[in-house]
Amino acid sequence: MAVYEYRGQRLDIPDNDSEYRGYFEAAGEHRLVVKKCRACGLLRGEPGPGCPWCPSLEWDWQEVSGKGTIYSYQIVAHTVIPAFRDMAPFAIVLVELDEQAGQPTADDGLRITANLVDGDLKPEKEENVAIGNRVEVIFDDEPDGISIPQFKLSGEPPKGETWQHSV
Amino acid sequence: METSLRGKYAIAGIGETEYSRGSGRTTRAMGAMAIRRAMDDAGLNSQDVDGMLSYHGGDSTPSTSIMYDLGLRPNFYMDCSGGGSSTEALIGLAMGAIEAGMCDTVAIFRSMNGYSSIRIGGTGARAASGISGLDLMKRPYGLISAVQNFAFNFTKHMSEYGVKSEDLAHIKVAHSNHASNNPKALMKQRVTVQDVMDSRWIIRPVAHLLDCCLETDNATCVIVTSAERAKDLRQKPVYVLGVQGRGTKPGGDFHVQHGNLGRVAGHYVGPRIFELAGVKHEDIDVTGCYDAFTYTVLLQFEAYGWCKPGEGKDYVTSGVINLGGKRPNNTSGGHLCEAYTHGMNMVIENVRQLRGTVDDYCPNAAAGEHNYDYSEGGCRQVKDAETSMNMGWGTPAVGSALIMRR
Ligand SMILES: [Zn+2]
Repeated sequence: MAVYEYRGQRLDIPDNDSEYRGYFEAAGEHRLVVKKCRACGLLRGEPGPGCPWCPSLEWDWQEVSGKGTIYSYQIVAHTVIPAFRDMAPFAIVLVELDEQAGQPTADDGLRITANLVDGDLKPEKEENVAIGNRVEVIFDDEPDGISIPQFKLSGEPPKGETWQHSV
Repeated sequence: METSLRGKYAIAGIGETEYSRGSGRTTRAMGAMAIRRAMDDAGLNSQDVDGMLSYHGGDSTPSTSIMYDLGLRPNFYMDCSGGGSSTEALIGLAMGAIEAGMCDTVAIFRSMNGYSSIRIGGTGARAASGISGLDLMKRPYGLISAVQNFAFNFTKHMSEYGVKSEDLAHIKVAHSNHASNNPKALMKQRVTVQDVMDSRWIIRPVAHLLDCCLETDNATCVIVTSAERAKDLRQKPVYVLGVQGRGTKPGGDFHVQHGNLGRVAGHYVGPRIFELAGVKHEDIDVTGCYDAFTYTVLLQFEAYGWCKPGEGKDYVTSGVINLGGKRPNNTSGGHLCEAYTHGMNMVIENVRQLRGTVDDYCPNAAAGEHNYDYSEGGCRQVKDAETSMNMGWGTPAVGSALIMRR
């Protein structure tokens, strides 16, 4: 059992965690990985043992580019987690990775969740959070050895029209 | 689709504890009281109730303890894991258990110290636990509460259809007006759109504080039996025309990876429930659309086809959902204003509506005498309510529905 701490919270990743252990091991090497179905070849963002699109339970880790587009987001103005209170407001983004956007159907995609941070891993300014903005992965290395994938703006032109809320 | 059970089962009794933020009692004590009150409401004694069902999130007391408190000896019981959208589904399971001959009459209960002990958002007794499994993809990023778990869906929906916070606020306003005529409601104060907009932000752009439900201590109960048996009991039976759920959308826990984010489980539950019940939208007089947050109401109205995708904002601001409107929603005040019960209070309210005995401020409400004056501190009975529909929400991917008739 590996036990880590991140932002005042305890993360438990047991040795038999066949879903998540490899994900964080790769993150420790600054590689973002997802699961790839051995049968149909489709990727899935959330680590799980089965392919949602075919009957196969066989898979391999597959490294991805870590580049993507903000598909949706939420700005946390109030949080119940003590260690996050000083960070608020901060953004949590749903990132659609480039590898499989709009596949296998137009509404599907390879999407993962993270914070939108700046190059110093501090929360990105709210005015820079918009659906359509381009992002890339950045790794937050902790002293106890765990590394957490996060995303920052890549500086590329946005994909299509952007949308953000008005306050 | 098999519809032979249409109208064959009924809700015979309803019961609830007070809705509070400090019950000072165990979930066992509250559960026993809610069931006892439902038995008294129906005119049933301990020998008559031979089935129990409950749902919980590790925050309740098992049926095996509460059956002792009530002198019950069930021929069938089951305690199921679940939150919102469980009430409706368990009514269907109770019908199935009776149909299978396993028992005759089932008490379904939910008991939770949802404010003083175990809070949904992960604070309280749950906060100390480590993060593992699926939560590793969420809580390290500060994504912990229910309002956050569903927020990506609604931000995306806002971006596609131009929905505004003000549109959502109208839902809170309607439910608060209804709650002002409900002596049991935790929040009886009527609010305005501006009050909602001025309340502090929780999650931008989907929820101010007043867009969120009220964590509550309470227990609730409904009793299901055959229509034949119900006719001999104390209350007018309220018949189950159809029940469907817990139904899902593609992707389950990982639904944000799959499919249209604004399309929630009701899109799949809806066609089945209307066919099972044999009614159409225009036959429904009152709705109970699950209001964990104002945006869950809007998404479900669209999913169940009360309006087209993107037109939910027009539906909720048009006055349709207000008392006195064409099809009032959550006339008790719902989760936003009466109490958060994981859905059971919305079914209880619709049972009362169909009986015609809503417990408002009309002096002879229990006898079914109402003046239909919906101003503050007055009536909340819908005139001639014949048919109701509940739309339970578990997550964007999980929902249930129930259609009842008097
Ligand atoms: Zn596959």
